[in-house]
Amino acid sequence: MLKLDNVHKSYGSTHVLRGLSLTVEKGDFLAVTGSSGSGKSTLLNLIGGMDRPETGLISVDGENITSYDDERLTLYRRRQIGFVFQFFNLLPNITVFENIQMPLLLNGTDNKEKVQELMGRVRLSGKENSFPYQLSGGEQQRVAIARALIHNPDIILADEPTGSLDTRTGESIMELFTQLVSETGKTVILVTHEHYISRYAGRTARIRDGLIQ
Amino acid sequence: MNRFLKFVRLFVIRNIRMEKFLTLLSILGVALGIGLFTGIKTASDRAVAVFESDVQGINPYAEQEIIDVSGIDFHEGIYRKVRETENDSFPVLSVTAYLPEMADTIYINGVDIVRMSGFLKGAGPGTKGYADIFRKIDGAYVTRRFAERYSLGIGDFLNAEVYDGKYRLEIVGIFERRTLPANLAIMDLGNFQEYFSKTGSLSRIDVSGDNYTLEKIRGLLPPNLVLEKKERIIDNRKALLKSFRYNLQFVSFISILVGIFLLYNTVFISVVKRRTEIGILRGLGAGKKTVIGIFLIQGLILGSVGSFLGIILGQIFAYFSAAAIGGTISAMYRAVEIYDYLISWSDAAMALMLGLFVSFAASAVPAYEASRIRPNESAREGSFEGKYRKFLGLLSFAGLFFVGLGSLVSFIDYHYTPFDFPFLSYAGILFIITGVTLCSPFYLSTSLKVSKKLLERFFGPTGKISGGDISGNVYRFSVALMSVAISSALIVALLTLIFSFRNSLREWIHRNIAADVYVKPSSCVSNFCFFPLSEGVVEQIKQLPEVAAVDKFRTLSIDFRGRKIVAGFGNPDIGRTYPGEIEPASPYGGAPPTGRGRTIGVSKYLSIKYGLKVGDRIEIPTPSGNRKFLVRDVFSSYSTTSGFIYLDRKYLKEFWGLDDSTQLGIYLKKSADPESFIIELKRLLLPNYSLDIMNNKELRIRVMSIFNKTFSITYAIELISIIVSLIGVVNTILALVLERKREISIIRYLGGSWVQIRNTLLVSAGLVGICGIFLGLILGSAMSIILIRVVNKISFGWEIHFRFPLIPLFLISGLLFVTTLGAGLIPARVAKRIDPKRFISFE
Repeated sequence: MLKLDNVHKSYGSTHVLRGLSLTVEKGDFLAVTGSSGSGKSTLLNLIGGMDRPETGLISVDGENITSYDDERLTLYRRRQIGFVFQFFNLLPNITVFENIQMPLLLNGTDNKEKVQELMGRVRLSGKENSFPYQLSGGEQQRVAIARALIHNPDIILADEPTGSLDTRTGESIMELFTQLVSETGKTVILVTHEHYISRYAGRTARIRDGLIQ
Repeated sequence: MNRFLKFVRLFVIRNIRMEKFLTLLSILGVALGIGLFTGIKTASDRAVAVFESDVQGINPYAEQEIIDVSGIDFHEGIYRKVRETENDSFPVLSVTAYLPEMADTIYINGVDIVRMSGFLKGAGPGTKGYADIFRKIDGAYVTRRFAERYSLGIGDFLNAEVYDGKYRLEIVGIFERRTLPANLAIMDLGNFQEYFSKTGSLSRIDVSGDNYTLEKIRGLLPPNLVLEKKERIIDNRKALLKSFRYNLQFVSFISILVGIFLLYNTVFISVVKRRTEIGILRGLGAGKKTVIGIFLIQGLILGSVGSFLGIILGQIFAYFSAAAIGGTISAMYRAVEIYDYLISWSDAAMALMLGLFVSFAASAVPAYEASRIRPNESAREGSFEGKYRKFLGLLSFAGLFFVGLGSLVSFIDYHYTPFDFPFLSYAGILFIITGVTLCSPFYLSTSLKVSKKLLERFFGPTGKISGGDISGNVYRFSVALMSVAISSALIVALLTLIFSFRNSLREWIHRNIAADVYVKPSSCVSNFCFFPLSEGVVEQIKQLPEVAAVDKFRTLSIDFRGRKIVAGFGNPDIGRTYPGEIEPASPYGGAPPTGRGRTIGVSKYLSIKYGLKVGDRIEIPTPSGNRKFLVRDVFSSYSTTSGFIYLDRKYLKEFWGLDDSTQLGIYLKKSADPESFIIELKRLLLPNYSLDIMNNKELRIRVMSIFNKTFSITYAIELISIIVSLIGVVNTILALVLERKREISIIRYLGGSWVQIRNTLLVSAGLVGICGIFLGLILGSAMSIILIRVVNKISFGWEIHFRFPLIPLFLISGLLFVTTLGAGLIPARVAKRIDPKRFISFE
């Protein structure tokens, strides 16, 4: 279970989160919506251990991650978090296969069969040796989804995953994404400002003025 | 114009300010290259100026001089006849004195003070000064610069070693004229002759006059004297130093090449990093010329700032190089002390022009590439490097063509030697460097393919990311690789040259330094001494019971086919009777010039320069007319770069009318102890003479020490090359970090730790280091073969046996590798400061 309790976060004089509290159960698919600058991405960064709140508590399965040092946060992210970004953020100089394989390698394991299998499931078989720049936007996002799932994390954080795609591709990506996370029972927190995306989620939360409404 | 300046401010100055560290590294790289080149050029130019300054002497109007054909002093009797023909003629007796307390040398000129008074105006103390210089037999004028350097004033004394004696000079006047050589002292000719026991001798007569008068004077001269243009003498001296000077400048020029790579890299990275910006600009209607202009100006700004800094660094390098270059010239030719090492305005302007040219050359290609970016290209990452991937093969073919061309050109120089300076070999080296540079992307990409599995196996994700980074940016990494490769090559080439030379010299020493004790005047600091020892010295030595034989060696500076060369006269039979550790191989060591007629041994230099071979007959000018000699042997000589001939002493007496000696080799009886003998010899001779007395081992050490001093500047060049190449590695990897902030952030989001990111950068640095060093070893070996077999042979005529310094190279390569790895740590620190959220979430 993921729990945020009275979390405050500011950047300079801008108070982005003002005592935000949120609970996400294991296996939940939560869509977070809100206007630009409302703090959606900040929320993901805090949950993903990329940032720390000024005050408040973030706990994952009862572990208070705000007390972690940098090294432990890195390990937490490496093992328990999978990220999907709006701009795919694939490593441009390694192949599709290697991009998907990367989280496994960072965790000190290597399972080529698993990578191959997941590539099949995201319909990328045959693209193993392609480089990201040789793929379409939809294909790149499918690589990013496979990368987010390959190391079997507990939580998937998705930041506007369809933001760079046309509606049709976006929908097909969302279908694939939903199917994969439901099959594996992952907890998903998806940030979006596109309303049609929220229908894929089991639950929707809206951030306004730094608080969940 | 205003619009363009605004562009420059927005897109150049702002970018420079944003990437301060990267910019600083590029500027430093250019500055070091330009600084080294300018410093060495200034120091060697000043050395040449000092070397030729005493030819001009104190009379700037004399265009000709009467000198002895063998460079020795001559009888003054001729002066009266010359003056009767041309009143405008001035006798000079000169000598080089060593000042032990100052470890400096000074040229003492004895002149006719009354007749020279016109040139001595402003010489200090006025009438009293003139009176003193006549009145005091040891009275001398020194220059203001010399006096200031050692805080000397009128009435102070100088202890000087002159010829083979110890003397004291009293300063009776100070020249104010700044155009005079700083280390010049003037005495009255009569006092000079009397004080140094040179009564009746002159070194030269400065003459000026019309052609008719000069011809008339020429007719008056006996066979041992010639009338020569000072200009020709100066040219001759310049020619002596030409090889030494230009070789140093060429080697230092290679450092500038590394600077070009640095600048190219910085501008190229700027283009790659700002492709979106360029795309947008192009989309907004900016023309290709504007884009080219932006990047050219960026390069030119970096280049000009680097050049200014280079001029300052050059001044520092000039200061340190001056001592090293001065030492080498002193050993090889004659004592010179370089005190004027200030970079002239013309040198500074040249450095600036060179820097601007370098920066233009370095930024032209990236600027052109920038202009080809299409407005829609910005969206496609990786396409910039990707589109050139297909040219790898083509570039490699072009590279191989250049390598072949370089080898061919060097071979032509080796085989046919069309010029008296190795221009073709230098061009060959530059062609080979160009070729290797063009091949480097293919080489790096192939090396990566070969080592991919190994990298991944040993370094896991770190190896995979590094491999990906390099293969995705193979052109840019090739630039870093070439920085390391060129520096390594320079080190390999110079180290191999020095190692081979040292070994060849050692062999030469074993063969040629055979006597037990050596004696020479202390005033002589060069390999060859030209002022004779007092006959009393030789006589006293001969009478000592421990002495088995004395090899009286005499050197003369003679004219050979329009060039001054060294002629050495010795007794070859002594060498044969008392050989060294190995049977002497050269006549200098003692191979008897047997055969019919007069025989002679010539150095390799003369053999190369004039195609002389055993069996040829050559004509040598002597005071008793030109004499023909049969070339009996061609031998190696490392003592001079001007050509050396060896003759039997009997010809010294027969044709030169001399029987004196400038250096002595003493062979002791087997029962004698050299150390006790030397103590005895010093006790006997040193109270009356100023001599250097050395045992065999000391002379060998001294020869090696001269060798080490000669190459000390080379070590400095190597060190600077290493620094520049490290800057190259830091520059490239740092640029990679700055450009790849997003990728680094992704890795952080994926759970990569800072240690893993640091290791990725270190693996990249290490891989570039290993590949660069390996390529440098190959390139350096090729360069060393050209330097040893062609450049050295044509420039100096030294025979050097090629030896590869395996252990030193292994150690240096290891050190280079470690420092390259260390260079990867700086970008790693920068990477740690990256805030991943900035490059991911708020895209």
